[in-house]
Amino acid sequence: MRFIDTRNNHWHRVEGEDGPIPHPDPQPDRLLTLEQWHAVRDTWPAALPTGVLLPNTLDVDTLAADLRGPGARLSLVVLQFPKWTDGRAYSQARMIRVRHRFDGEVRATGEVLVDMLPLLQRTGFDAVQLRRDQSVEAAVRALGFFPGHYQGDVQQPRPAFARDLAIEAAGPRDGTELFAGQGI
Amino acid sequence: MYQYTDFDRQFVRARAAQFRDQLRRHLDGELPDEEFRALRLQNGWYVQRHAPMLRVAVPYGELSSRQLHQLARIAREFDRDYGHFTTRQNLQYNWIPLARAADVMDLLAEVDMHGIQTSGNCIRNITSDALAGIAPDEVVDPRPYCEILRQWSTLHPEFAFLPRKFKIAVTGAHEDRAAIGWHDIGLQLLKNDAGEVGFRVLVGGGMGRTPVIGSVIGEFVPWQQILVYIEAIVRVYNRLGRRDNLYKARIKILVKAEGQKFVDAVNAEFRHILEHDQDGAAHVIPQAELDRVSAHFRLPAGIDVRHAGSPMRTQGDVPVAYTRWLQRNVHAHKLPAYRAVTLSLKRAGQAPGDATGDQMDRAAELATRFSHGELRVTHDQNLLLPWVHEGDLHALWLAAREAGFATPNIGLLTDMIACPGGDFCALANARSIPVAAAITERFEDLDRLYDIGDIDLHISGCINSCGHHHSGHIGILGVDKDGAEWYQITVAGSDGSTHSGAAVPGKVVGPSFAAEEVPDVIEAVIDAYCRERQPGELFIDTSRRLGTGPFRAAADAVRRATAGATS
Repeated sequence: MRFIDTRNNHWHRVEGEDGPIPHPDPQPDRLLTLEQWHAVRDTWPAALPTGVLLPNTLDVDTLAADLRGPGARLSLVVLQFPKWTDGRAYSQARMIRVRHRFDGEVRATGEVLVDMLPLLQRTGFDAVQLRRDQSVEAAVRALGFFPGHYQGDVQQPRPAFARDLAIEAAGPRDGTELFAGQGI
Repeated sequence: MYQYTDFDRQFVRARAAQFRDQLRRHLDGELPDEEFRALRLQNGWYVQRHAPMLRVAVPYGELSSRQLHQLARIAREFDRDYGHFTTRQNLQYNWIPLARAADVMDLLAEVDMHGIQTSGNCIRNITSDALAGIAPDEVVDPRPYCEILRQWSTLHPEFAFLPRKFKIAVTGAHEDRAAIGWHDIGLQLLKNDAGEVGFRVLVGGGMGRTPVIGSVIGEFVPWQQILVYIEAIVRVYNRLGRRDNLYKARIKILVKAEGQKFVDAVNAEFRHILEHDQDGAAHVIPQAELDRVSAHFRLPAGIDVRHAGSPMRTQGDVPVAYTRWLQRNVHAHKLPAYRAVTLSLKRAGQAPGDATGDQMDRAAELATRFSHGELRVTHDQNLLLPWVHEGDLHALWLAAREAGFATPNIGLLTDMIACPGGDFCALANARSIPVAAAITERFEDLDRLYDIGDIDLHISGCINSCGHHHSGHIGILGVDKDGAEWYQITVAGSDGSTHSGAAVPGKVVGPSFAAEEVPDVIEAVIDAYCRERQPGELFIDTSRRLGTGPFRAAADAVRRATAGATS
């Protein structure tokens, strides 16, 4: 998981005094709103690294043609949590990964809190922009509590019943004895 | 019953450690109330009137003696020595200080228990038939499927923050004893003509402000695909369910608003997952996994499967109280030599569903002695012993009577469902417990109770409907009018059980009543039934045949506080 802050963010919104500029010029590393992307998509150079910021109400199937790699038109998809308890973007992220096979960056923005990290990671986010008051250290710790989960996800597609839990337990955590005798 | 694997055990301990970290950050001021709230809710911690309330998950109602002893210990050492069994087969504590919450979670983890997803806007603890695996009318034992569903739904990363809570109930019998029509998803296991097992899937049921009975979305979903089918339903709901209005956020509202479009969206999503998604078939359940989980639900060691029923061993004259107990509290079993026995938690002096630490210990001892160490929490807020040999019934009766569990009232008026109400719950508009107590007192006479016969009385302290008032043959709902407690009475509701008929919300019997009028109103309604019934007719049948008219008239006749307002 990459933690994004102002120092390591090279993506730029294209905004004027009245909000997003309706027809931005093609430049690399631009983070466009969905409206901007729709406006310029047909004339936008294919090789330009481009990001798009999606509302959490969007049916991501409508962007299928821009996501599917290799040769995807988009390099970055930024999904939003207007409230941290609004879970729509988890479904969007998962669909972007497993349905549309997007292999670029999927970033979480908005009210992103440390305790969301396990969910974000498991639904296919690989970058987060934490809310300003959140601690990266606590966020990293939040990722470390569980040695494995029951259901499959974007990171680990196979559910517990299809995995060898004994081998898994012997992995990064020191839990060699944890799953001995599991037999599945 | 299901035995935790090392993975399960490690998982629950990890959850307890994660909660301890979150609680510490909260108590240190790093995690403010409004952000800690959703985290604690998903571990079963509410903040109530007096203290936080902890709801402990009892998956599909199955409990071991060892677990119940531990719950008793927690009641004694952390609470005021009691707990409350709920309609969702869980156990609630009311008085545990938040600062001790993490210690309680550790104690629960010691006996493979937790509060995961007993609250919050997520997939809640799954409920089932209290007679699962032992009912004579069972087609398929639902417990292995319940356990597979429990595992799949536990900490599902995509569905942790749905628009609203999400409840799933499963049954595998002809009779619906799990009220599946009243759930967000109701699952009925059945076999097709080829003998294959599948699920009839209902969606969009629920109580609350807008009572709705679930509608069938899948007539026969093969068991192997049930996780994928549910994933499709919950994903459509997560994406499209309303989040702008708390009262319109349940899936029932989406299902009603979208109708066939919802059904089409779910079926398209289902096909898409299976046919196109990367690893989309990963959650198709293999036979080996069903076999592995099913092995946990084999008959307990030492169960006698061969013998047909043998005569009861009792000495001398059989007391009437014993006969009554056999009639009401003892239920048929799929094994001829066994019975299921309800330990009644409905008795004068204690709130429905409440048990003290000592009573929990006594119930656990009875389970150890008479039921291979296993109990069930029933949807009606009682405990049930699933493996009682018929030769032990008399000894069990004596022991249960001694422990105060032998009130022979199961299925009768005083075996009522009631939420904790305004005495404890911060949401409630009105109290439930004093109303339940007054009615229990009024109908103490067993001859009268037996004459009234089978009846479901359900009491909720507010429209959130934890006391299932909508599905009661008689429902009592607490409402707030100008800061005072009032009660709305309904008749002819049904949970969907055979004698209650198809699930349906009850109909209101006139304007609300004052608290002190409620026992008189219930008595008047019951008297009207006794006058109007045809031979052998139950209350539910009479109320359905006659409608609200005679009950409304009888209730109005005992109005005092609002006597002028009804003409």
